[in-house]
Amino acid sequence: DSHIQYERVGADVTMKCGSMDWDAAVTWTANGTDIDESHLNGSYLILKNVELSQSGQYSCYEGSSWHLKYQTYLRVGTPPKEPVLMCRSNNYPKGFYCSWHLPTPTYIPNSFNISVIHGTKDMVCEKDAVPKNRCHIRYLQLFSTVKYKVTLTVTNALGKNFTTLTFDEFAIVKPDPPESVVAKPVPNNPRRLEVSWQNPSSWPDPESFPLKFFLRYRPLILDQWQHVELSDGTSHTITDAYAGKEYIIQVAAKDNDIGTWSDWSVAVHATPWTEEPKHLTTEAQITETTSASTSSFMAPPTTKICDKGAMVGSGAMAVCWTAGLVVAAYSVLFI
Amino acid sequence: PTGDSWGIFTFLCAALCNLPALPALNCSEELGAGQSIQQTYDLTRYLEHQLRTLAGTYLNYLGPPFNEPDFNPPRLARAERVPSATVDLDLWRGLTDNARLAANYRAYSRLLCYLRVLDGQVGMAELRHRLAHFCASLQGLVLSIGGVMSSLGYPLPAGPAGPPAPPGVPTAPNDFLKKMDDFWLLKELQTWLWRSAKDFNRLKKKVPPAVVTLRLEARGF
Repeated sequence: DSHIQYERVGADVTMKCGSMDWDAAVTWTANGTDIDESHLNGSYLILKNVELSQSGQYSCYEGSSWHLKYQTYLRVGTPPKEPVLMCRSNNYPKGFYCSWHLPTPTYIPNSFNISVIHGTKDMVCEKDAVPKNRCHIRYLQLFSTVKYKVTLTVTNALGKNFTTLTFDEFAIVKPDPPESVVAKPVPNNPRRLEVSWQNPSSWPDPESFPLKFFLRYRPLILDQWQHVELSDGTSHTITDAYAGKEYIIQVAAKDNDIGTWSDWSVAVHATPWTEEPKHLTTEAQITETTSASTSSFMAPPTTKICDKGAMVGSGAMAVCWTAGLVVAAYSVLFI
Repeated sequence: PTGDSWGIFTFLCAALCNLPALPALNCSEELGAGQSIQQTYDLTRYLEHQLRTLAGTYLNYLGPPFNEPDFNPPRLARAERVPSATVDLDLWRGLTDNARLAANYRAYSRLLCYLRVLDGQVGMAELRHRLAHFCASLQGLVLSIGGVMSSLGYPLPAGPAGPPAPPGVPTAPNDFLKKMDDFWLLKELQTWLWRSAKDFNRLKKKVPPAVVTLRLEARGF
């Protein structure tokens, strides 16, 4: 006769050997290994201040006959802490989904129950097969003034806990990031990069619910991002890239009117087109271009000093980097 | 502030552009409609932005619990007389252009009436001034929608012409219920402005946008 027994971490556990008397002679084993008599009180097994590692199969055998009198599976765990719940509409106006998790593991099985109330109506949140701990709801009505109230209850053998979220239909709208972001150099244009992307595939109706986009880009060597907000279209040409520098570019999306911005898309890298070097330039040519470029903030000196062909020695490199950073700092001040 | 000037500009522009009697305006009907739809859309966004500040101030004026962020009262039957933006999804999708525009026109006409009543009852001078300004902008929106309907050849829905108190409306029996009415009025107004942005997005796709902004502005002023 075996069953499962759940106990809290740190509790004192007393196991009785089935229907045997207290003074019967018995042997207890844990996962097949004999347990020392010091843990016994008569025929009862006493485990003080149980630890997670003490989970396992406990069996009790009658002293002389070695008949199995009792068997139990001990699972040591904790009651659930307040769960973390998140609801989001990435497919507006179709509906929304909620997903949840426990902040700390309980080490024993938990069951989740989610309830959604809209005004006076109870709605059913359909559980997803994959991923687990997620369910989705379809909107029956659009443009509702009444809030949605979602309550998640977690229960296990040692206790229960719950959390509630209350929100307006509009507040949880957050699209998925744009997909298929592509950045390409533009031939014969050393300061341009052409970026294009697609609406996230989860957004069901971009015609009636258009998205707007936010593009950010910077050369790998600088920390400061540049931003462009685009109210329509899924492409943009960057026209102020530093020539020859590798860029990192990301795009985010938002419903034109409601909700919040998506997470940033996967980053893409691109370097603007540069002319093929015809010959190495001499030291004299480098000093010439240095004095010419420090007069203007707008044209980055990297165009002139840091041309592929101009890299003659480490001295030139040092000038290149310092001048580039100085001008970048100045430009940032003047934005 | 620049926000106000832009709003008044848009309102006047919408009003002027949509008066069919004005001969100086040289826009073909279809081009005019496209431009008007964009203007109406812009106006709903402007109003939505204005409402956020106004609602915050008004709810503070009402006091707790109305100004608490998680205040979520049940709808009482009496609040249903304020026109609701809530609609079945498939129904909303299937609305004809005429029905879509008419729903917006009727809703804002009535909301404007209720808002004017509110304005008359508020005890705070600064709040009255803000409400009056908002009502003027809202009036501009109603005119703008009317203009779109006219330019597309749809008849304007018959509605309250402008008397401040809608007939047959019982006043709230107590102070708390009156405040609840105000709370729901602002909520419905907010929801309508969100909905209208989507309504006008759909309409924008139907009527091609006109690229005559500069020409119209020059003639208007």
